[in-house]
Amino acid sequence: MTEKKAIRILAYESSCDETSTSVVKNGTEIESLIVATQIKSHQRFGGVVPEVASRHHIEVVSQITKEALAEANCSWHDIDAIAVTYGPGLVGALLIGVSAAKAAAMATDLPLIGVDHIMGHIMAAQLTAPITYPALALQVSGGHTEIVLLHDPVHFEIIGDTRDDAAGEAYDKIGRVLGVNYPAGKTIDAWAHQGHDTFHFPRAMMHEDDYDFSFSGLKSAFINTCHHADQIHETLNKLDLAASFQAAVIDVLSDKTMRAIKAYQPNTFIMGGGVAANLGLRECMANEIAKLPAKEQPRVILPPLKLCGDNAAMIGAAAYNLYQAGQFADLTLNADPSLELPYAESMLN
Amino acid sequence: MKILSVSTATNHLSVALNQAEQVLAEVNEQDERNHSEHLAPVIAAMLVKKQLKLKDLDRFAVAIGPGSYTGLRIGVTTVKMFASILNIPVVGISTLAALAANVPAPNTLVLALIDARNTNYFAGAYLAGKSLIPDGHYPLEQLVNQVQALCMKHGYELTLVGSGLTAASVAFKAAGCAFQLGAKESNYPHAGVIGRLAINAKPVDPDMLLPNYLRRTQAEVDWHHQTGQDYQPDSNYVEEV
Ligand SMILES: Nc1ncnc2c1ncn2[C@@H]1O[C@H](COP(=O)(O)OP(=O)(O)OP(=O)(O)O)[C@@H](O)[C@H]1O
Ligand SMILES: [Mg+2]
Repeated sequence: MTEKKAIRILAYESSCDETSTSVVKNGTEIESLIVATQIKSHQRFGGVVPEVASRHHIEVVSQITKEALAEANCSWHDIDAIAVTYGPGLVGALLIGVSAAKAAAMATDLPLIGVDHIMGHIMAAQLTAPITYPALALQVSGGHTEIVLLHDPVHFEIIGDTRDDAAGEAYDKIGRVLGVNYPAGKTIDAWAHQGHDTFHFPRAMMHEDDYDFSFSGLKSAFINTCHHADQIHETLNKLDLAASFQAAVIDVLSDKTMRAIKAYQPNTFIMGGGVAANLGLRECMANEIAKLPAKEQPRVILPPLKLCGDNAAMIGAAAYNLYQAGQFADLTLNADPSLELPYAESMLN
Repeated sequence: MKILSVSTATNHLSVALNQAEQVLAEVNEQDERNHSEHLAPVIAAMLVKKQLKLKDLDRFAVAIGPGSYTGLRIGVTTVKMFASILNIPVVGISTLAALAANVPAPNTLVLALIDARNTNYFAGAYLAGKSLIPDGHYPLEQLVNQVQALCMKHGYELTLVGSGLTAASVAFKAAGCAFQLGAKESNYPHAGVIGRLAINAKPVDPDMLLPNYLRRTQAEVDWHHQTGQDYQPDSNYVEEV
């Protein structure tokens, strides 16, 4: 019996402040993953500066292509397709990955696959455990906070979205108030575990009948509390502030997500994006789902922390599904900074 | 020597195939802003037409700047990946040298200009291919003074090429410095000319082929002024994790 030929995809990701390449086998196995992060550079400015990001991406892109192949013990002959994030993200940053991937496809005569960054974040789960469909994903990252219904490996639909800030953005903004450098999420998460929810910040939109989120009210309440304390020269406990903020974020995220899980009864529940690395959120979602009656419990896939942030392996995983579905790009592929997954009909009003 | 050359440095896209000095094919898209969408298909179509594969080429060349930052990166990334994957030599050519080479007149100082707004220019002055005022980012006034001094001292004719020529013309006239404007075609980089300049240029490691922006980002300049800290090499700021 001959074994079915493995499909290997070389993937690029450059949508924000990480340049990454990866070789992924059959959409599930990471054979190599290179992540060159620019965090140190942007910390000079307190946040990502797009032109600086683009300049760093081009400095490393050819080098990390070679590294991804070498680490996977591959030559170009072992690769079946080239994949790249083409949006959403910073246009100048995306263009480095897109230009590099197109050039690589031309030089090697390999097919090209354009991948939505958010589809990629969600498909980090596929590198962790097999997904059975329909699945439901909570996508929480620097620019996105969405509940996404996955009908099959390539048909996704947004059923809930943030009406203002993304969760990661809220972490970064309140982090700045607490003097934590960008990206603040990880530090706030660690502080939260050492403090207590003493401030009882508002939980926005907890009781409405949709799957949307809002974080701007929470953010304002947080900032007002800090400013007021400043004015009366009172020092607030940073650990308690962090714990109170995180408790509110987790309540809002988990409440809406649990409601969606009950309504859609997915076979698999997935978390994706940088904020999916949040230990408090991971714990809370796992606990809440464990409380469901056994036959209503979806299988839970929480990708390892390393695969929650931006990386090319998740792009390779999503690209494999597009490869199987025959969805290829041609050489006109362009960066699309405001690319969006389709919205469910219920969202379009 | 078969050379594929590219310029995405300005809002004109140019791609050419050279057999040494001879231009076998050149495609120019004027005022085309979407280089990202067009560059790869234009290259692919040209290769098909000439029945060549990328791997048949002996050299790649690209306008490395100055120019539009985003535009430069599209061309440089494309060519750097070709060269890196196929192990074919690659050279970067100054956009200004390429513009100046559009005007091959002897004893003529060619001032190549790229409008950088607010009466500033990316500019360089060339005499028969030799750089007399180095590529840089200059206030127009300073350029007028330097160029006028050179022309007076050596008796050069002066030709202006590139973009932002209206404002530059006014300034040179006001200074009483005689000049000619290059033909319309000489105001944008031609990949065929870049291919010619590439023959004698020194190949670089594709990983080291980077745009020559000639300017730091505003964010870095502000940071430097606010903190008093020195600029470090970019490689100090990017880490593999
Ligand atoms: N443990 C954590 N808890 C909360 N937030 C976190 C944690 N770790 C990282 N983050 C946040 O995750 C975000 C980065 O995630 P990611 O890299 O996926 O976002 P992005 O790529 O910038 O945006 P997007 O993917 O939406 O386009 C940052 O806002 C960061 O603060
Ligand atoms: Mg992301």
